Amino acid sequence: MDFIFLAATNPASGEFAREFGFNPALILAQALNFLIVAFLLYRFAIKPIAATLDERQQKIADGLQYAGEMKTQLAEAERERAEKIKQAAIDAQKILTEAREQSKEMIEHKTQEAAAQAEAIIRKASEATELERQKMLSDVRQEVARLVVATSSKVLSRELSDAEKSSFSESAAKELAGAGG
Amino acid sequence: MKRDKKIPRLAKKLVELSKDAQGVVTEAKVGEVLAGLKQVEHRNPLGTLKAYLNYLRREVALQTAVVSTPGSLSPEALKEISAKYTALYGRPVAAELKTDPSLIAGVRVRVGDDVYDASVAGRLQRLADNVH
Repeated sequence: MDFIFLAATNPASGEFAREFGFNPALILAQALNFLIVAFLLYRFAIKPIAATLDERQQKIADGLQYAGEMKTQLAEAERERAEKIKQAAIDAQKILTEAREQSKEMIEHKTQEAAAQAEAIIRKASEATELERQKMLSDVRQEVARLVVATSSKVLSRELSDAEKSSFSESAAKELAGAGG
Repeated sequence: MKRDKKIPRLAKKLVELSKDAQGVVTEAKVGEVLAGLKQVEHRNPLGTLKAYLNYLRREVALQTAVVSTPGSLSPEALKEISAKYTALYGRPVAAELKTDPSLIAGVRVRVGDDVYDASVAGRLQRLADNVH
């Protein structure tokens, strides 16, 4: 500005200014215009653009941070998943082992039960056979007794004379008459 | 149908009236009882007569010793049996002879529901029963 003032007041410089087209008023006006334009640009263009750029930069930073956190969480989830899978495999193996043992116990128990039932059936069959045998013997005894009585009755009826029968009857009557009851 | 409780009581009284002084049921006394029943009006004469008959039969059975034997039996033996059971039961018991060839030999005496068996057939049967 001092140069411009100096050039404006110095006559030698007047020729210099006319030679190169240097017009202080014009330069001042241009400078003023420039300032106004610069201000306007700053106020309505650069500032919003800068704000937008900052905002975008922030968003990018946030996005990157979020991505980083997600990556961390994903890794953590993967780790947990692997751990759970491992634990599930261990539990499954445990269940399988227990099931095998229970199955084995059940088989043994059922085998013993079946053996006991078979023994009971055999014992009952033996008892039934023995009862049947006893009944048969009893029936045979009864039949033999019946035959003996029938035969004896027939023989005595035929072999005893009327006199012997009468004599026996008299003795029996005396026996009844003399007996206590 | 409701049973009339008075009929059995009446029938028992009629049986008592049918006995003589010695407590024996006689035909004459039974005739008197029947004649008396004819003169009296009763609500259920048929039921009364049936009950009287049943009780009478029972009383006659109690007063009779049926002596079964395959052949014959002397009158003395019958008298002894009659005396024996009269003393035993405390009431007059008359002996009645009945022929039963199935007894083979010996006697069987029945007084009411009591049976006294001294026959050969009875002994054989008891032997057979003891074998079981």
